[in-house]
Amino acid sequence: MALRVPVNLRKNLSVVLYAFQGLSIVAVIVGLASLLLLPLDEYSRRTYISENALLPGQVHAYFGGSEQNIVRAFRREVDLLGNSTSDVVAERMAEIFRSAGLKVAKQRYSYKAAGGEYTGENVYAVLHAPRGDATEAIVLCAPWRNIDHLLNEGGVALTLALSRYFKRWSLWSKDIIFLISSDARAGPQAWVDAYHDLHGENIQSLSVKSGAIQGVVVVDYPGAYHRFESLHIIYDGINGQLPNLDLINTAVQISRDQMGLRTDLQEMWNHNDGYRHRLKTMLRGMVNQALGHSTGPHSSFIPYHIDAITLATHGDGWHDEGSLGRTVESVFRSLNNLLEHFHQSFFFYLLMAPKRFVSIGTYLPSAMLLAVGLTLTAIRLWVDPRSRSVGGDGGEVAKAEKTSEKEDLKSGKEGSGKVEVVAVDSGPKRELFLPMSIVIGVHFCGAIPFAVFNLVDYKSMASVFYVFIAGSVILPTLISVLITLTAAPHRLLPAFHLSRCFSLLFLGMFLSTLATLNFSLSFLIGLFSLPLTFARTTPKSIPLALVNSILLQLTSPFAALFAVAGYWGLGVEDILKEASFGWWVWGMWTPVIVWCVWWPAWVVGRISVDSSLVMAVMGKSG
Amino acid sequence: MDRKCLLVIGAGVLIRLVLFTAFPSLPTILAQRVEISTPVTSYKRLQEGIYLYTHGVSPYDGGVFHQAPLLLSLFSILPPSTIVTNLLYVLADIFSAISLVQIASSGVPTVTPHHVSPRKANSWPPWAIAAAFLFNPFTIATCIARPTIVFTNTIILHAIAAAVNGRRGPAFVSIAMATYLSLYPILLLPPLLFLTYDSLKPISKPSIQAFSAISVIMLSVVLMVYFKLSHLITGSWEFIASTYGVHLLLPDLTPNVGLWWYFFIEMFDSFRAFFLCLFQLHLLIYVPSVCLRLRKQPLFALITLIGICSIFKSYPAIGDTGLYLSLLMLYNHTFPLMRYTFFLAAAILYATFLGPAFYYLWVYAGSGNANFFYAITLVWSIFNALIVADAIYAVLRDEHETERPELIGKDVVQI
Repeated sequence: MALRVPVNLRKNLSVVLYAFQGLSIVAVIVGLASLLLLPLDEYSRRTYISENALLPGQVHAYFGGSEQNIVRAFRREVDLLGNSTSDVVAERMAEIFRSAGLKVAKQRYSYKAAGGEYTGENVYAVLHAPRGDATEAIVLCAPWRNIDHLLNEGGVALTLALSRYFKRWSLWSKDIIFLISSDARAGPQAWVDAYHDLHGENIQSLSVKSGAIQGVVVVDYPGAYHRFESLHIIYDGINGQLPNLDLINTAVQISRDQMGLRTDLQEMWNHNDGYRHRLKTMLRGMVNQALGHSTGPHSSFIPYHIDAITLATHGDGWHDEGSLGRTVESVFRSLNNLLEHFHQSFFFYLLMAPKRFVSIGTYLPSAMLLAVGLTLTAIRLWVDPRSRSVGGDGGEVAKAEKTSEKEDLKSGKEGSGKVEVVAVDSGPKRELFLPMSIVIGVHFCGAIPFAVFNLVDYKSMASVFYVFIAGSVILPTLISVLITLTAAPHRLLPAFHLSRCFSLLFLGMFLSTLATLNFSLSFLIGLFSLPLTFARTTPKSIPLALVNSILLQLTSPFAALFAVAGYWGLGVEDILKEASFGWWVWGMWTPVIVWCVWWPAWVVGRISVDSSLVMAVMGKSG
Repeated sequence: MDRKCLLVIGAGVLIRLVLFTAFPSLPTILAQRVEISTPVTSYKRLQEGIYLYTHGVSPYDGGVFHQAPLLLSLFSILPPSTIVTNLLYVLADIFSAISLVQIASSGVPTVTPHHVSPRKANSWPPWAIAAAFLFNPFTIATCIARPTIVFTNTIILHAIAAAVNGRRGPAFVSIAMATYLSLYPILLLPPLLFLTYDSLKPISKPSIQAFSAISVIMLSVVLMVYFKLSHLITGSWEFIASTYGVHLLLPDLTPNVGLWWYFFIEMFDSFRAFFLCLFQLHLLIYVPSVCLRLRKQPLFALITLIGICSIFKSYPAIGDTGLYLSLLMLYNHTFPLMRYTFFLAAAILYATFLGPAFYYLWVYAGSGNANFFYAITLVWSIFNALIVADAIYAVLRDEHETERPELIGKDVVQI
């Protein structure tokens, strides 16, 4: 080994213990601090277009003039259909597309989740590229009702008008698909699943298809009033996946520099590009990413490695459908220029202003450091002598072994008359079975809340949830009472010590894996799990145990759930319903992570804290 | 075989049957994992081969199927139902567990004619060894995904079980079969020779030279028989190039947990032949050194070679690592002498979770690239190699302490 360590480090454990404790604290502090440094100019970067083929804003956009009258006519048409059923809407939309000379198809779908049924009918039209070979396509999508259930009058009218307008150009090299989905959450998912033949049984297959989808732009322009102030770019995908940064940059550059439209991110309407606003934008982005839910119709496309964004209008200003139409036209001209799938720019980034971002290399260390802090604590707990049980049956310290009966078989190296006595110093041992079974058992229990919350009806969701909270408050105490009653006193402390060690090891491992898939979720869970690194079994000090217990209660998954509910001003049952809907419709993994990774780690933490109270009460202080 | 062993085996069978029946899509999902199925063991490719074979086409046409012809005849005489196939794989794991029980109860891991471990009393009972094999997640995943490596592993374990009991006929017929199925078990021949020789009864013991010569001749004859049978089955000698040629020349660069695929993707063609020879020879050089150094404990030499093969062979999978780790449990009594147990276990766990995540980022999400997965296979291989090295250290220390009892508990400085 190249690294020569002092030989007696193995003996002198306290050095190692303090070093590891210090390292894990430093890791956590540096991890948190480095996240707060990100919005500074020195750590973030200006965005830039990485894929040169995109050429954003290099072409003149001609949409406008008389086209605006057509948009207004379609707007009237949409307005008249406002309250019709989805099949009437789909039929009328199909008629309009057909009259523009496009190939049209419809798709019915139906999802069941959380006791509700979500049905609708998508309608879409394909414009075959005059200069293409139908191997690639780009999608212009407008949901009939947007994510807030408002009638998307402007968006649908604009899509209909653009379908007529695009048909007249001969320069398209990719097919263009115009999709009117009947809602913003289930419809696009059904469509994109069916486009890739991965749809469930209650979803119709698509009768008309085109090539591989290269990009998606969703237009969200609700309301009867047609002036708007700024363009809100929404980009978060399911499970925290993001579209390629080049697509967002293209949209930002076109709308700001070419059209003079202000762009907003993450509902930050008055962004002054200062530190606080950047931090706030970044944190909002992280919350959306961590929840992994759909923030618009574009979200459903992203898991299929299709880069998608939603352009939503906001406020009351002087821009009209002409500006939005020209923006969409220009973005489509850029997408049309793509020579290959988006690959140049970043897939992992945090945006903090429309033109400022940090890439994975800069921000990943902070989440990784939190996970490393947990792992280092686990290693420290392992080397700690308290993990070994002293006394009891550890008395077989010196075992004499006579080997004389084998002497005749030996090659005669030792004198054959000599009786060899070998003593083996086994020392106090770690008892692995009990802590291992606690940790693994609790992790398997995580499947119970996950299954229950995905199967329960919306109406009984709240009551089931409160029952479950009560259950998981009592469960750790029950387990620690059970263990304290059954196990021998000298094994108790090491058992709780080691179960904490394994649980932190698993948590650190899961979080560092998760950090590569969904950075924000990993970071937030890591943040909430910090008390687990120091909340330990303290049978000698009841007040400390009580403080730890309260601290753990405040950072439990339930507390986080209430926090999320409060953040949006919704009830807990709505969040759980969203989670269940997400699991059945979008394939959202957040509930799996919360119930099967975080909750078990929290329960094991509670077991080791509660055991100090239980041991004190029972007088078994180890 | 006591009650506990039967109980453990029963539980192992139950887990597998439950996984097969409760999650009918699981075998297909796992069979597609590159960590479990390699081009030379994949169940999907086997089905392709069987299809071609039963339709009268040479199974090696098309370059998809690279497995031994006897497997074809085995699977084509079985009734074509999934349940029977699944049961066959579960049965293979039962035989493996029984062989492990036999190896453990023979006492060879702790007591050989040249060495008696002072930690003899700390070794695990046979049922615990069987449990470590049957409940190892790598073994379970491999059984559910149904690559043919399961049979190779069973046969290797059977060979070892026969060898520790001094039954040299079955031992060498089995190792010939394992070699026939997946080539690399031929490297296990020298330690197996020593192991069988040490286990022979002292009365009828021939000299080691005569014994080796007879055994090698026996092995070659059995291998010839297998080859001739294969020739009769497929009607040509094409299978040699399509099975062993693939092991040796690496024409299929599908990713796996090993170190070869990325290296040979990146390689310029002019160097390919040189590095192929180098990589294969690299595996070979371990055999004499390990056998000589661990002559006192040939079983451990054999296990170490299995571990080295599971890292450095051309198409490794987690099934190989699972076999090595299960066999390593036979030397459980030396684990207190290992220096990095917790660290290594944690690192292997990390690699196990990060591997699929990085593969997902590369292949499905498209936001990573091949370097992500290769980096994690490097980590995986490094830590497997460290486990092998640390286990050797522990066993040698154990040997050393038998010779020099006064050094027990003293620190060793490596320079």
